[in-house]
Amino acid sequence: MTDSKITSKEAIMLVVTIFVSHTIVTLPQNLLSNTKSATLINLIYVGIIAILLAYVIYRLLKNFASLDIIDISQYLGGNVLKSIVGGIFIAYFIVTSSNLLREFCEGLRVAFFPMTNILSILVPFILVLFITNYLSFSSNVKTISLIFPLVLISIVFLFFGNFGNFSFERMFPVLGKGFADTFITGIGNIFAFSGISCLYFIPPYLKEPNQMKKICLSSVIIGLMYFLFCTATILLLFSFFVDVDEVLPLYSAASYIEFGIFFQRLESFFMLIWILEIGSYLIVTNRFSISIFQKITNLKFHKPLAMIFPLLIFGIALLPKNYSIIRFLESNIYAYFIIAIVFVFGIAILFLANLKKRKEKRVKPQKIQ
Amino acid sequence: MKHLLKVVCFVIIFVILTVSFSNSYTRVNLDNIAVVVAMGIDKGENNKLKVCFQFTNPSSISESGSSETASTILKSVDASSISSAINSMNSYLGKELTLAHCKLVVFSEELAKEGISDIIYTLMNDAQTRPSCNIVISKCTAEHYINNSKPFLEPLISKYYELFISSNQFTGYTSNATLGKFFDNMICQSCDPYAILGGINLQLPDSSQDALTNKETSDKSNSASLSGNTVSENVGLAVFREGALVGELNAIETLAFMCIGNEVKGFLISVPNPQVENQNVDVYLTPKANTKIDVSLVNGSPYITVDCKYCGQIYSMTNDSNYLDSEILSRISESCNRYLEYIFTEYLYKTAKEYKSDINAIGKNSLKLFSTIDEYETYGWREHYQDSFFDVSAQVNVRSSSLLSDS
Repeated sequence: MTDSKITSKEAIMLVVTIFVSHTIVTLPQNLLSNTKSATLINLIYVGIIAILLAYVIYRLLKNFASLDIIDISQYLGGNVLKSIVGGIFIAYFIVTSSNLLREFCEGLRVAFFPMTNILSILVPFILVLFITNYLSFSSNVKTISLIFPLVLISIVFLFFGNFGNFSFERMFPVLGKGFADTFITGIGNIFAFSGISCLYFIPPYLKEPNQMKKICLSSVIIGLMYFLFCTATILLLFSFFVDVDEVLPLYSAASYIEFGIFFQRLESFFMLIWILEIGSYLIVTNRFSISIFQKITNLKFHKPLAMIFPLLIFGIALLPKNYSIIRFLESNIYAYFIIAIVFVFGIAILFLANLKKRKEKRVKPQKIQ
Repeated sequence: MKHLLKVVCFVIIFVILTVSFSNSYTRVNLDNIAVVVAMGIDKGENNKLKVCFQFTNPSSISESGSSETASTILKSVDASSISSAINSMNSYLGKELTLAHCKLVVFSEELAKEGISDIIYTLMNDAQTRPSCNIVISKCTAEHYINNSKPFLEPLISKYYELFISSNQFTGYTSNATLGKFFDNMICQSCDPYAILGGINLQLPDSSQDALTNKETSDKSNSASLSGNTVSENVGLAVFREGALVGELNAIETLAFMCIGNEVKGFLISVPNPQVENQNVDVYLTPKANTKIDVSLVNGSPYITVDCKYCGQIYSMTNDSNYLDSEILSRISESCNRYLEYIFTEYLYKTAKEYKSDINAIGKNSLKLFSTIDEYETYGWREHYQDSFFDVSAQVNVRSSSLLSDS
């Protein structure tokens, strides 16, 4: 089922990688346009909810040892439900990663390759997926573990490098668009924690499944801290980040970092790190998609699928005609898509499976492990 | 066989990627680009813009030694927009213009009065333009300003443009007004943009000034009391409201702006000498703490208190000075307090009442008075700023003179 196992630290980095990659494109700006000056308060609020949800997921997964949501759905509703759940999660991973890839590549084209066709910019990322699919999962995760600290440092550096330009008054008015928009409809900002979806799939890969609680909570807390750094950089730096849409807001923020006349134009360095981060994200989602497909089709080996899923991502990434469609999907559709699949559907499956297990325990306790 | 297949795949991929990325590389290749170091924008005929570009001459940089000033090339074109001006110039030069090293954008006063917000948006939309590029509003035409901007202490024009504003931190007579800040202030609902006021030294005698007034502090570009070979001047600030030029600040008003905005590290003021009538004493002040600005609303009008603290060191010395006497030091401190309170208050009322422009972004301090953005927008800071009342308090502690204390 799994080609190799990963440690709990590697698992935390893997989950946070999914959180982080969306911040490189327009996630912080989407959060800011929803809750304006109250975004930091809102993030803490939805972060606490996300921590609670991560804990709930841990409790629901606990009863199934090293099974992932696909195995659990098989237990709950047989092969039919397994195929439905698998299909939905494959669609989720493929569509979100395609859109993220396209959005990031559009930014790369604007900033660095104005004369290059978007197709050519997408191709190197797809090649990375071809190659990594032939390697073991643990070697993929080890690579991610090397890249992830660099990404984290880059964001902390971005925050402190721009610290002199910050206006802390931009955190006011404290309630932003209002109490309801911050604390009631603002719950919608929980889509930022879409990386929680990985928690459904990592149990079979863990060397120490008993560390699941630590993985669930630590990854969401680190992700929250990371979001706070990113959003604070954009909120406190300049007002136009809140009012005007930027293709890559963090890239623009990086262009303001200057240390005298010697250290300028650091944004290219940041971009290099972020390219690696997007590659890491694609590796994770692609591997999970392949793993799900393997399970629902009962395939023994994953290598025959090594080219199919990257090509699928590539094809879907090419579908949007222009950038406005990508932004529309990112800011209006995917938020609901993520909430529905990750936070409602996923938890509902686990909850029902737990109910079934409890019921079975009561009826035939001797048959249940 | 398997190994050979891998190598063939690698070679094919390498060739495809090299070919596809070569267009972008060719576009930014040094041989194909013309590096713009400054751009001037004037009002042209028939609602057109007259855009001039200053380029460095690469051959003159390599040929001239460090003692010689590298020559520059200035070219102008009439166009309906910045983008079409760049396009026309690309065609004329046979190279592609790059704004990645553009350190200065100059607008003529005439164009700035009509509004430059669309041009600023276009410049910010350009991926090459740096947000750190300075913005100058020229009293003469932008082309004339750039043509006469000759670095006389620097061999390279690009370095001159990068450093020409650096003295602002210890004089306070102009500010580092960049494209990024200008754009931010233009969009912000609680502030207004500003730019460096530039001009050409006309060296005209000014007989209207009283001999006892501080002529140098009322200087601004085009009317500065400098003489010699100086050509371009950058003293004072251009004040904007909603993207259009509405007024100018002279050197001392700019100093007030810099002090209130915590942008100055030290500055020199001449205050009446409490010991000798009709004589001034020069004191160098350094901020002791950041200026505190507090905003409250009284009957719907902003009531703004400004509290600033400085340490002082006396620079001027005469044969009967006694700066060991603490009584004299306190009287000089008091004189500094009165002087600063006067110039700060004058500056704040001038920008609020006359120009209706909040270039110090005092409105940001009012954000905490509102709980939601809707409340803030309904109130309308920009409309109410002109009704503001200011209460300025300065606390200067003159500690000593410099090397000599008592003569």
